[in-house]
Amino acid sequence: MEFRPRDYSAEAKLFLLHRDRAETDPLSVPSSQQANIADDQIVKYDDPLRASDDDATVSGVYLEDTENSSAIGVPSESAFPPAERDWSSFTRFMMQRFSVSKLVSVTSVSNAILKVGKTYERSSTDKHLEELEDPQNITENEVKVVTRQDYINRLREFKDDLVRAWNASDRVTSLKISVKVAKLLKDTSVLQFYPTLFVLVTEILDMLGNFVWDRIRSKTEFTEDGARFCSLPEHFKIKDICQNAKETCYNWFCKVGAIQELLPRIYLELALLPCWQFLDDQPVVVIQRLVMMARGIADPLASAYCRLYLTHCAQKFPSCDIGLLVSCVNDTNAQLKHFIPAKETKTGSSTDSKVLLVGVIEPTIEYIVKCIFKNVSQRQLDGTLVALGLGRNMENSQCVSIVLHYILKELPVEVLSSKAMEFLHLIDRSNDSSFRQFLNYRLHGLRLCERRPPVDIVDAVMHNVLEVIAQNESLDEYLTVIDAYLDIVLQNHLDSCVKTILDAISQRTCNRGIDENGLLSLQSIMGKLLSHYQHLEDVFALSHFLEILDLLVGRPKGIIIISILKMATRSSYIRDPATVELLFEISQALNDSFDFANMKDDENQPAHLLSRFVQLVDFGKERERHLAFLVECRGAFGTIDEVKDTLVHSSNGLAVKALKDAKKHGNFVKSCIAFSEVTLPSISTHIKQFNLYLETAEVALLGGLISHSGELIDSAISCLHNVDMKEGSRAAADADLLLSSIQKLCSLLVMLPGNPDHGSAYFPKILVSFVNDIPWMTPKMRTRILCAILSLLATCSQNRLPYHADNGLFWGSNNVFFGDLAYLHELVSLSELIVENLVNAIEQESSGAARGILALEVCDSFLSSFTLKDETYAICSKLMETAKLCMSDSNKYLQSTFQRLEEKSQSLVKC
Amino acid sequence: MAVEIRLSRTNRIYRPSEHLQGQIIVNSRSSISHYGISLLLNGSVNLQVRGGSAGVIESVYGVIKPISIVNRSIEVRPSGKLPSGTTEIPFSVILRQPDENLGKFYETFHGTDINIQYLVTVGISRGYLHKSLSATIEFIVESDTADFLERPLSSEMVIFYITQDTQRHPLLPELKSGGFRVTGKMATLCSLSDPITGELTVEASAVPISSIDIHLCRVESVILGERIITETSVIQTTQIADGDVCRNIALPIYAILPRLLTCPTVFAGPFSIEFKVYTVITFQSELSKVHPKTDPRTPRLWLAIESLPLELLRCRSDD
Repeated sequence: MEFRPRDYSAEAKLFLLHRDRAETDPLSVPSSQQANIADDQIVKYDDPLRASDDDATVSGVYLEDTENSSAIGVPSESAFPPAERDWSSFTRFMMQRFSVSKLVSVTSVSNAILKVGKTYERSSTDKHLEELEDPQNITENEVKVVTRQDYINRLREFKDDLVRAWNASDRVTSLKISVKVAKLLKDTSVLQFYPTLFVLVTEILDMLGNFVWDRIRSKTEFTEDGARFCSLPEHFKIKDICQNAKETCYNWFCKVGAIQELLPRIYLELALLPCWQFLDDQPVVVIQRLVMMARGIADPLASAYCRLYLTHCAQKFPSCDIGLLVSCVNDTNAQLKHFIPAKETKTGSSTDSKVLLVGVIEPTIEYIVKCIFKNVSQRQLDGTLVALGLGRNMENSQCVSIVLHYILKELPVEVLSSKAMEFLHLIDRSNDSSFRQFLNYRLHGLRLCERRPPVDIVDAVMHNVLEVIAQNESLDEYLTVIDAYLDIVLQNHLDSCVKTILDAISQRTCNRGIDENGLLSLQSIMGKLLSHYQHLEDVFALSHFLEILDLLVGRPKGIIIISILKMATRSSYIRDPATVELLFEISQALNDSFDFANMKDDENQPAHLLSRFVQLVDFGKERERHLAFLVECRGAFGTIDEVKDTLVHSSNGLAVKALKDAKKHGNFVKSCIAFSEVTLPSISTHIKQFNLYLETAEVALLGGLISHSGELIDSAISCLHNVDMKEGSRAAADADLLLSSIQKLCSLLVMLPGNPDHGSAYFPKILVSFVNDIPWMTPKMRTRILCAILSLLATCSQNRLPYHADNGLFWGSNNVFFGDLAYLHELVSLSELIVENLVNAIEQESSGAARGILALEVCDSFLSSFTLKDETYAICSKLMETAKLCMSDSNKYLQSTFQRLEEKSQSLVKC
Repeated sequence: MAVEIRLSRTNRIYRPSEHLQGQIIVNSRSSISHYGISLLLNGSVNLQVRGGSAGVIESVYGVIKPISIVNRSIEVRPSGKLPSGTTEIPFSVILRQPDENLGKFYETFHGTDINIQYLVTVGISRGYLHKSLSATIEFIVESDTADFLERPLSSEMVIFYITQDTQRHPLLPELKSGGFRVTGKMATLCSLSDPITGELTVEASAVPISSIDIHLCRVESVILGERIITETSVIQTTQIADGDVCRNIALPIYAILPRLLTCPTVFAGPFSIEFKVYTVITFQSELSKVHPKTDPRTPRLWLAIESLPLELLRCRSDD
């Protein structure tokens, strides 16, 4: 066999593509086309999360309940108007919110519940009779306990009884059951169970209300023998109602009016409230009276829930009057004011129980306030605000802080920002135990941020807030409040405020720790500061910033450091030594707090950031210092592979830069390569390691450090032996990577002058043996690597090499052995071995199509490496036969390879 | 064989100037011959005395001779024959004959001592051999609206106040010393079709309030010889405050008047029917738990009571 002599520069000229000057930029696309694409991409879609709104999973108790109610003819949930749906989701939420212990204590007020256990087996009529007499045989103070489930079951029994009685036309019994059920709401000692009780009871009452409504309505539309004589319009007037129906309706109200006790009377009237439309064109008056009547209930819990039901029932009217809801809120306000002491007089346990109570009342306030601002029109808004005491003269108004909280929450943001100061004063005045004052400040701040407040008030507001909050000793509360206002401060560039805030934080923390909530607020504050400033230097220049950063611990600290690093790595380089030092310090902190070993590569954002940081650091001319920094980094982040990878890249980069410099820095380059060499072995991924070895070898070669380079390539190849390809999806991709790296190694070897000590074809030999030794090597990979080695050998045999390291200043691999026949002979004999191996490798390929392509590739490789002689022609023809067997004749690759072989063979014949 | 009366109105309410209309329904398997079908209208005031302020002897006598308002017989059908099956015989009888100048048609009222009741009875006489058939039904009389004035103005409110000093009975010492003040106003002239309205405000109370109730009472008086025997009974209780309510907030007084148990205030010669409203404030006290519930008007140490007369009128209704 004989290598084909080649003239690379002539070939390059020959194969150079003819170039034409282009008239237009082929990359610029006409804009109209783009618009079309954009249009096409608009696709309508359904939100899959929203669709299942109605049948969302709910707690078992409720689920059963809805099933029950649908079974008895109440319309299914989806048929409800929006207000009803709001209500049902609200009640559902309420039942879940208050988790109750399994036992519910029952006082004499609600002993209707108690009879279940004892008289379970008596007939229901007996039970009714007994209950109607309502014997007071349990002494007043006795407290009984029943399980929560029993209580709920009992209520369900009542519901069934009611339905049964109604269907049997026993209206009196239905009413009596309803009254009994409504009476249960008098017992507020159940506390946490009260919301659940309320929901279950009002369900029964609503049902009765619907029954009565339907009955009276049918009386207006049907005669007694069931013939329809008229059809009631949607918005009917009382003149449409016949006397008989009015009579029945009035009768119901008489019956309800005769209920002695206030609470059940209000509830029953509310349940029948819609029926007033049969008697009165202005039923609003009725609701007004009911709002006032509810003031007679002194128990704050009972009255709050009574108002909640009132709100619910009032919304059943076509036009719900907001004034009523406002009265409800004001009444609640007044009542709570009466009930909750100011903060100064708080005394231990009684306050605790009140806080618990306020917690149970809270949802009612939330719901009513929400209803007010949901329904209020722009026109009504002013009046509503005045009625709530938030009109022009807010100086005198007072609000219980829990009520104020929900007003602040729901208030239109325009109102809040136009009266920011007034609301601040109001928050200041309402300092009671029903709600934490600082949380109201916080909400105020958050709401203000929703829409940029007018600049002129910002200064005053912030001044006031800072003044008020400065009196608060607690760090956590301070942080919480400040966090909310920080956006405004930053938006308006109130730098003095920022300074005050940071000073205050640092002062407060000097002798105290910080708790979990405080940490979160601090994290948010730091995050806002970071996102506000453009340059990291500005942030670091803030007084106490680093000191405060040190306060952070754990996860919040990690998150803030990550944002700092993100910010730092946004720029294209980091040059300021002070900044580098600070970043290095905090990076170390990050490194200490994260467990990098247990993170997956893809999610390892901190590692990405750290390596990006290392990459961006640039000391300019001070390369020694840069290298020292890299050394420091290796010490600090030695556990993170990705960073080590970057470190090697950086040090190689430094070496190359130094080389490019006019002055030679031989020693510096050596130290860089030494650094890389030392760092490399600890990288755990072998492919990465291999690539880095190659890179370093290349740099060493560039620097004229030939023996270094040879050693590095040696290490690289020995590292290859450690690579272990496993089965799996990544294996194929990894194999491809490795293949191209080995191909790169071959091309690098062209430049490396041979080492006479090792013999002429030292590295190719090692590679060939590597290829043959490795068990996981696929035939395809093996073929390609061998082809690459073959090309390497063919190139080395040339008198002129296609390329040189550093533009030919260094010798190439052939120079050492120039003209040495033994050398050439060695190359040929090795290539003969390779040819043999290649032919074998192709045989091993199991897949037909792949075998065909491999055969063609090998054939191609032979044609370009060797001069075609009989011997080679025989091998090539054989390969072509193999390829033809495996591929169709029409295959272009096959045809072109065949053609090329034919051309060459003709020249062979000519010879 | 059965006979019944079915009135034209399901609520059975008629005014004296109106016709009492309805059907006599006879159900029989065989045809019956009869000697005439007649209706008997009967309205009377029945008085009796028991307990109350009546003496032992009076209560032994019990019933006093009733006062007749109307007692008239009308022939609906002359003698003849009724076919088998169901026969409906319509009737229409004017209650107060224009020329008739009998006593006043008081409204129907069912009280303890006084009962004003109107009955209509159908009689089918079938000679001596057969038992005559009959059925009776009560109908309710409400006064003619034309007899009365327009609806009283709601602005006619009586203002009252209740303090420890307005009480004529002994009070708990802490009530007496701590003091309390509840003010209110109430309409004391009230249409029967309207509720009692008013409002009440707790201005101050040293002792927490347990409940505030409005008791509607009727006062029936009967003249027996030279004496007037009066019986007062609670007909409806309405709670307006449950627990120790906020001070200085007006609570509405609103009580629908129960039907049949109320009627226009009557001052007739031999009897009178009046109404009163008692406002009773119950203060929280351990003593109240020991005592069983009694008539709320009974003065107790922990109660404060205020009574107002209530005049009820039958007014022109809306239609």
